[in-house]
Amino acid sequence: MSKISLAFRCFFAMLSHGQLTPELMAELGLFRKKDEKPAPPPPPAVKVSDGALQLLGILQRDGRLLDFFLEDIAAYSDDQVGSAARSMHGPCREALNRYLTIAPVIDGVEGTFVQAPSKDPAMVKFLGNVPATAPSGGMLRHRGWAVKDVHLPALTPKQNITVLAPAELEVE
Amino acid sequence: MGDARFVVGIDLGTTNSALAFADLSAGSVEAFAIPQEVNPGEIRAEALLPSFLYLLPERLVGELARKRGVESAGRLVASAKSWLSHAGVDRTEAILPIAAPEGVERISPVAASAEYLRHLRTAWDQAHPEAPLASQEVIVTVPASFDEVARELTLRAAAEAGLGEPTLLEEPQAAFYAWVGRHEDWRERVAVGDRILVVDIGGGTTDFTMIAVTEQNGALQLERVAVGEHILLGGDNIDLALARTVAARLGRVSAAQLQQLWANCRVAKEQLLDPEFTGDEVPVTILGRGTGLVGGTLKAALTRADVSQVMEGFFPLVESTDMPARQSRAAVQEIGLPYATDAAVTRHLAKFLSVNGLELPTHVLFNGGVLHAPAVRERILEALRHWGASARPLEGEDLMQAVARGAAYYGLARHGRGIRIRGGIPRSYYIGIQSSVPAVPGFAPPVRAFAVAQFGMEEGSDIRIPGREFSLVIGEPAEFQIFSSAVRKDDAPGTMIDDLTDELEELPSMEVHFPASSGTHERVRVSFETVVTETGLLQLWCVAPDGRRWKLEFNVRERIAA
Repeated sequence: MSKISLAFRCFFAMLSHGQLTPELMAELGLFRKKDEKPAPPPPPAVKVSDGALQLLGILQRDGRLLDFFLEDIAAYSDDQVGSAARSMHGPCREALNRYLTIAPVIDGVEGTFVQAPSKDPAMVKFLGNVPATAPSGGMLRHRGWAVKDVHLPALTPKQNITVLAPAELEVE
Repeated sequence: MGDARFVVGIDLGTTNSALAFADLSAGSVEAFAIPQEVNPGEIRAEALLPSFLYLLPERLVGELARKRGVESAGRLVASAKSWLSHAGVDRTEAILPIAAPEGVERISPVAASAEYLRHLRTAWDQAHPEAPLASQEVIVTVPASFDEVARELTLRAAAEAGLGEPTLLEEPQAAFYAWVGRHEDWRERVAVGDRILVVDIGGGTTDFTMIAVTEQNGALQLERVAVGEHILLGGDNIDLALARTVAARLGRVSAAQLQQLWANCRVAKEQLLDPEFTGDEVPVTILGRGTGLVGGTLKAALTRADVSQVMEGFFPLVESTDMPARQSRAAVQEIGLPYATDAAVTRHLAKFLSVNGLELPTHVLFNGGVLHAPAVRERILEALRHWGASARPLEGEDLMQAVARGAAYYGLARHGRGIRIRGGIPRSYYIGIQSSVPAVPGFAPPVRAFAVAQFGMEEGSDIRIPGREFSLVIGEPAEFQIFSSAVRKDDAPGTMIDDLTDELEELPSMEVHFPASSGTHERVRVSFETVVTETGLLQLWCVAPDGRRWKLEFNVRERIAA
């Protein structure tokens, strides 16, 4: 019960103040309460790859994505692959939309002429007969995708993020 | 309660719970999003709290509990509310989950309900630390068909969860309050003489109520005139029937696969019942269990024909004189919920209208997830038309949250900020009296029923029952047989019924303990007094001529031995 209560308090503290109160930090063991001075910031415990592993784990949990990609499907008919893919599509799509806000880089109609919103080559890639100085626009071939926001759940230090899906043992 | 800032409506549902609230100074009703663990380590605020409790390694309530329960059903408590109204078991004893494996603790239906309420309280208190739930005006809804014992047990669960003594409100009434709250011009939409049928089909239960529009001193009044029986039949039964239909085509299907199919069929059914959808079937693929996803996939589809066939079973077009098939009681029954034997909702509806001698409704208000589907709503209207009614639906309410919203609106109405439905208690109550006839071996002496509370007795009223005094022995517990009836509405207190028909249902007995004051075995003559509290709770008192009073309490445990 106290664990749930603690989780709630953290949730609301984050929701309303955007940060944990010193009391909550103490309860979570993030620093000792006796030290009135805040402890020096701990070295970042989260590695860049953790988010990727976390997302893979979520796509496996909700949509069985790893099972699908790691299986040898050469022997199965299109029909069978198709029906498996169709039933994975919904959950994977839902998970992507829930944990990431994804939007096109250019929200235009593919096949029409659009202005380039930026000169940043990471955002806009020019194809075809490209002059030395980047032009102001071109025919939109792919709208691109960009992540506007990430809502992945916070990782706890205890979590072993390298296990993407636990083994399942059934007890008869 | 004097310093309450909010009125809070809690819909403690069989499969989902919800909470809505209104600031007493502002007056508009808002839904409260309920934070809960949805995946391990991930807390999210959702509109509904699934009423599921997972027991190990620590108690878990809500969405994650529901998910965990699919993987390990023996640790999951589900449908606690249906158990709360099941008179065949001791509802205060730790019996759930029925199929708990060795070493898994069991918990009572009351304690499980308390866990859901405690979760709601914790969530509320975190969001409103300055206005904790225990000091707000709380209204908890119950099915209209809940008997007095189930109502008391709901209150006990609320007390265990630290909510004090909330007010109880019947769910169909709450749904109607939600409609009234949404439509400020409701007085133009109904007229004197109208009869509004509330059809509430939730995940696990079906509930009917009739509300009449009357007039007093030129102002419109609403009066609840009848409530239906408790029917354990709902959307989950429909989805399971669909899953079984598909499973029959697939051949051997394991329990885990049936679970997946059940969930998939619910989604597929909603798609097929959507009027915008034009296809004839929706795939309900069961993915392979192991890492061999594609190889182990079972391909199946739910067709339009399947859905209409199953819907025909649940909502057949019956005659108004039809009655549901009678429950056949095997001598030895496995402990389980007393599910309705007859799955036909329309037949239960026909019975509700005929046994209560009701005129056909002029309007219908729908509530509950199943009635999202226009086809289902239309089928119920069609049945009513077939019986000669030209009933129009009352539209425009959120079917999943209406009960919680309506409960909050009722809270406002109690402060004079909206109309109240006049209802009173939904059943008549009787005390069984053994006839004094010469004993015949092998025959129990016939029991007569003495009316002590009449259907419709209003909240906040009390009555001394005339015409009968009892002689009781001080210092010994006295026990009374108690009966109730939702159908007999005209038995004024003091009426004696000689023949106990099916219309009377026996409740657990009631006891009264007389503390021995001075001498033992003093006899005292008492008469009965019935009180319906402001919160709608029925109380029976024994009153001595000198003014001493003793309250009768339900003996929930006793029934099981019988």
